[in-house]
Formats: sequence, structure tokens, C-alpha cells
Amino acid sequence: MRVIVADDVMLTREGIVRLLREAAIDVVAQAGDANELLRYVGLTHPDAAIIDIRMPPTHTDEGLVAAHQIRSEYPSVSVLVLSQYVEPSYALRLLEEHPERVGYLLKERVYDVASLVDALRRVTDGETVVDPTIVSRLVGRSRRDDPLSPLTAREREVLELIAEGLSNNAIAKRLYVTERTVEAHSKQIFQKLGLQTSPDSHRRVLAVLTYLRAPAVAKPNDVR
Amino acid sequence: MRPLAPLLPLAYAAVAALVVSAARGSQLEGPTTYAGISTTAFAVDLAAGLALLVAASAAIRVPTTAAAGRLAVAAGVVWFAQDWEGWSGGPTLVRALGAAAVPLLIVSPALLVANAVRSQWLRMAVGTGTAAIIFTAIVRALVRDPLLDPYCWRDCVSRSLVVHAEPSLVRALDRVWLGTTAALGIVGLFGGCEAVIRGRAAFRRLRAPILVPAALACGATAGYAVALLRRPLEQPRSAEYSALFFTRASAFAAVGAGLLLVVTRGQRQRAAVSRLTEQLGEVPNALAHAFGDPSVQVAYWLSASGRFVDDEGRNIDVPAPTTERAVTPIIRSGKPVAVVMHDASLTGSLDRELGSAARLAIENEQLRAEVRAQIDSLRRSRMRITERGDAERRRLERDLHDGAQQRLLALSFDLRLARTAAENDGDERLVKTLSTAIGEAQTALEELRELAHGIYPAVLTEAGLATALTTLADTAPLPVELTVTHERFDAPVEAALYVVVREATDDAVLRGATWTSVSVAGRVTLKVEDDGVQRSRPLIHVADRIGALGGATEFGPRSLRAEVPCA
Repeated sequence: MRVIVADDVMLTREGIVRLLREAAIDVVAQAGDANELLRYVGLTHPDAAIIDIRMPPTHTDEGLVAAHQIRSEYPSVSVLVLSQYVEPSYALRLLEEHPERVGYLLKERVYDVASLVDALRRVTDGETVVDPTIVSRLVGRSRRDDPLSPLTAREREVLELIAEGLSNNAIAKRLYVTERTVEAHSKQIFQKLGLQTSPDSHRRVLAVLTYLRAPAVAKPNDVR
Repeated sequence: MRPLAPLLPLAYAAVAALVVSAARGSQLEGPTTYAGISTTAFAVDLAAGLALLVAASAAIRVPTTAAAGRLAVAAGVVWFAQDWEGWSGGPTLVRALGAAAVPLLIVSPALLVANAVRSQWLRMAVGTGTAAIIFTAIVRALVRDPLLDPYCWRDCVSRSLVVHAEPSLVRALDRVWLGTTAALGIVGLFGGCEAVIRGRAAFRRLRAPILVPAALACGATAGYAVALLRRPLEQPRSAEYSALFFTRASAFAAVGAGLLLVVTRGQRQRAAVSRLTEQLGEVPNALAHAFGDPSVQVAYWLSASGRFVDDEGRNIDVPAPTTERAVTPIIRSGKPVAVVMHDASLTGSLDRELGSAARLAIENEQLRAEVRAQIDSLRRSRMRITERGDAERRRLERDLHDGAQQRLLALSFDLRLARTAAENDGDERLVKTLSTAIGEAQTALEELRELAHGIYPAVLTEAGLATALTTLADTAPLPVELTVTHERFDAPVEAALYVVVREATDDAVLRGATWTSVSVAGRVTLKVEDDGVQRSRPLIHVADRIGALGGATEFGPRSLRAEVPCA
């Protein structure tokens, strides 16, 4: 697998590169900012780009913007955005336009080489990856009339894994059940929450995340 | 002398009226005055002179119109001189003085025009012409014997002031007088009309009531002089001369009426200006109204900080005076309290019209403006302090992410490498220790992230209040219902509202609430409610944050409502 790493902090960037090389992943280029990153992606057409969300000049969301650009200009290149923020809105922004072949991981996850390589493999396979911390924060949020209360404990577990971007097959392996069982759970969940089932797994991720995030925020035109 | 001065024109007017009547009654062999040609002419003759003298007596009392009043006295005196000269049977000296004064008819209207129009050449022309006419009139009186004057009609049988009769010199002098009068009259007519037409509104309003009739009187007198040059034998009953008489008389009467109008308007102005004391806070409006100049602006001087402010306490630039805009300082007790910026045509009158009551009002207003300016500067400094605080927190948050967090990440990476090495060496104890260390580093990272987010949520700047509040609700220990506009506001407003919601939520938790509801509506009203026990005192920090933006906060027992003026 050929990968580009973009992070303006050299310490972190080289750490990631070292880890990837030990895991026998081919790092074809390293970038210190978004412009460099886009240039190397154009030159090398890698399988994936690992992008830090904070990059010069403003150190806010440059990585996110670059990720969008890569996904629209080079559809074959997957992106994995690394973030120090447990910020569902960033994750949603990333998924909204191109829900496939993208991932949003918390930065500390990177040093668990197994998680990193797993996430890379999943995005390059066309899946979506959302950091479990973000999902559990959304699911665990205090609600006055909890719409998740009709769900059984098992269904909640499945819901979280769906939100993390796992396919039915992967969920089945994780929970040691058959894929058919997962499909049944998933159908139940979508029915109980009043969501449209979608065969497309990354559309499914987006639908669940938006649902979990949505009730707390008024619609943009709901201004009193 | 001073208190009697205004009465003199009236006394003269009374005497003159009697003389006109007497002169009219004595005309047995054809008219010797215009008053004698008809009752109408008598009434018009009397009205013109009386109007001038009555208006003059009122105008002399007021400093702003005293100069015009004195010219009106002169005009009235000279006007009646014509009747005195023609008073057959009247005292010889009076008739002789009247005859001597008649050539001065043009002087008063021309000077009225010249004084009202601030034009150097006009003044010089009128001054020169006046001097020439006065000189001519004196010499003429000394060399003219009416008995030898072929064109005499008012005083043919009277004795005069003649010292040495020179009939041919008199003819020459008459031409000089009449020529100069015609020239002055035309200059006065056009100079006056031009000034009125081209002047600005405030100038017109102020000067036109005198300027227009005075210019017309100049024109009429010029016409009279031209007629006399062409037909030296004056025949009062002829169509030409009687028409000229009525024109002249109406114009002079109008000068009197115009002067009277200006005087009474001045009284109203003074009354309005002195009412300023009752209209605190409306000094500029009251001045604009009183002087008929809507462009009046007042700037109050703050001596402590050495600057000018308007009535709201905002800084104001006082421009240098120009030919169109004048700047009049208002002095009270020897100290400047304000300047009034106004149309230049008001110059002079304004400072004089402002009585002590008006000055007191302006000083009061200045004190109010000073207080407002101080409040304004305090509010600005409070805003700067909070903004500075926010910027500082923002910087701290970035430093934590870019510094400490990166180091912890590197540390945890190294620990993992070491653990892998230990696993390969089969050193179980070391693996265990390193695993604990990795866990510690992980916890430290999480705590650091929460700390940084608590110091300043980066998402607030980047994605706005709605998103930041949603994240706040995600982590809140109780359900937070949000109804938040997605509109973006200025950074200080968003930061303040975020802090207020956080404080209010923490407060709700402390008061044992099971939910809280937050709404932020456009331009920009924040409401927070909950179901906790009643609040015992307002949240000072919340009130401070909102107050720093010039907003207001209301606290209910379980609610708070904040409004922020949004630029």
C-alpha cells in the first residue's frame, strides 16, 4: 500500500512514518502543509493520504479542506484525517460530501499501530471510519426524551459499530455472531429510529451520525 | 442718551407727520410736495417715512440690528426732507435744511445693501459714491439760490443756505449728484439681488427681508435720478414722476417693514434660545430651530481629555472654519465649554444672541456629554479586556495542542516502541510496566484535550456558535436542548454567548436541574431555562460578559435572558 503522510509537526510526522514502515506500508511522500500534500498527491497518486487536521497557516481545519479537495479531484485516493478534537461536527463535515473512502481518527489512535493499519485498510477498501470515541460521545449524550431508549443493549452496540463505519460482515466478526443476525439487528434499529435503510454502508454511517447529532440543533432557518 | 436713542426717531416721526400735513395744506399754487398731489400720495408718503422711523426705533434697541436701524433713521429723515423743503410757509431754515438733505436719498439704501453683502468691491463703490454725494450736497447747498434755479419746484420762493449763488455750478453739481445716484442705485440693485440669489439658504433667510427692499429702493432712486437727468423740470403730477414717486415710496416703506420683520424674528429667536434651559439634551435642535439653520452642530469640549465629543459622548472632529461653515466657541466663566458649527451667515449674531441661560444649558449639556464620554470609554476598555482575555485563552489552547500534546504523543509512541522491543525480548515485567505507562500517557492526553477545549473551544472560531454549543451539549452532564440560529456573529459576541451558556449550564447542574434549554435567536437574544431549584443570586460573570458588549442580562429564578447589540 502506498501512502502519503501530512503533518506540520515533524516529531509526529516522522513517528507515524516509522510506524507505517515497520508495518511494511510504503510511505511515498511526507508533506508539511496542505499545498505540499496536494502537489504530492498529484505526482504520486497514492492509495491513501494520512492528514493532520491542524496545519498552517491558521491551524484550524486546513487538513479537512485538503481532504475534501483530494476526494473530489482524485476519487481513487482514500483519506484518513487525524484530529486532536473530539468534535463530531468535523467528522460529519468530512463525511457529508464524500462518505466513502474517508476516515476521522483521534490522533492518539495512530500510535496503536494495529488500529492505524486497520483504519487504512478499511478506507482503501472503500469503507468509512469514524473514531469510536466520537461515536460513544454521540450515543452517550444526555437526552431529555432519549430516542435511543427503545433499543436493546445489543442493538445499541450494533448501532455504535454502524456509526463507526463497520460493514455488517465486520460487525459480525467483532460480535462473534453471523452476518444475518447483524442484518436483522440493523433492520430493527433503523425501524425503531424511523430511519431509511440503505444498502450503501457509508450512506448508512452518515444517516446514523446525522441522526445522533441532529435533535439538539435547530435547523438553520428555525430562527425565532 | 442710550435709553432715549430709540425714542428720537419716534419723536422725529411725529414732528415730520405734522410737517407733511402742514406742507400739504399750504399748497395753494400747485403742489410743492408729492404728498400734495393726492390723498393716496399723502398716505403713501407718510407711510414710507413712518415705517422707516418706527422700524428704526425698534431696531436700534437690539445690538444685532442697531446699525441697520441707524441707517433706517437716516433714510426716514431724508425721506421727509423732501416734504420739509416743499413746506410753503414753513420756517426758512427748516426748508433750507430739507433742500440740502434731499440729494442724500440714495445713501441709506445703498449702505444697507453694502453692509448686508460681504463684498469688498461693493463696499468700496458705495463708500466712494456716498462720499461724493455728501460732498456734492454740501457744496450745492452753499451755492444754490432757489430763486435762480430754473428747475426749482419745491422751494422757488424760499431763502436758502446760499453763501454765494452760482447757478451754472449748481447745474454741474446736480449732474454729478444725479449721475452718482443713478450709478450707486444700479450697483445697489444688482449687488443686492445677486447676493440674495446666489446666497445660501441661511443667508437668504437672515438677510433677504432687508436686502431685497433696500435693493429695490436703490433701483427706484436710480430711476428717479435718471428721469431728473433726462427731464430736469420735475412735474409731480406727470405720469412718469408720480409713478416714480409711488415706486420709491413703496420700496422705502418695504425697507421699514423688512427691518421690523427682522427685529421681531430676532426677538423670537432670543426667546427660543433662552428656552434652551428647559430643553436639556436638545441644544443642537433648539439652536438649529432658533436660527433657521438645520446644519447646526454642537461639539462639547472635554478639558480633562482634551477632545471634542457630541451629545452622546462620541468623539467628534471640529473642522477648521471655512467661508461657508463657521465655528463659534461658547465661553462660560472664561472657560470654553463647546463650539457651535453653523452656517457662516450667522456669524456674529450667534455669540451675541446666546444669553447666560443658554450658556448654562450648553454647559450642562457639556457635563452630560463628559459623563457619557467616560461611560463610553469605560465600556470600550471593558470590551478590550474581555477580548484580550479571549485571545489569550485561544493562544493557550493552541500552545497546548501544538506543544504539550505533541510531546505526549511522541512519548506515548516511544513507549509503544519500547514495549514492542520488550515483548520481543520476552521481558514480561518490563512489558507490564510499559503498558501501565502507555495507559498513563493516554489518560494524560485525554485530560489535556479536555483542558484545552475548556480553555477555548477551537470549533467556536472555525464553525461558529451553533456547532460549538452542540459539542457543549454532547458533553454536558444533563440534557441540553438547543434552538440555535446558524447565523455567524462577531467573534467577541460568539465567545461571550458560549461562555454564558457554559456558565448557565454549570449553574443548572449545581441547582439540581434535570434539563436545560438554550435558545439563541438572530441579532441576538439568548434565553436559558432549566428545572432546577430557584437561583438565589444572579450570575455575576454572565452579567459582566454581556455587559462588556454593551448588552443587558435579566435573571429569573430559573432562567436568564441576555440581549447583545450586534453590529
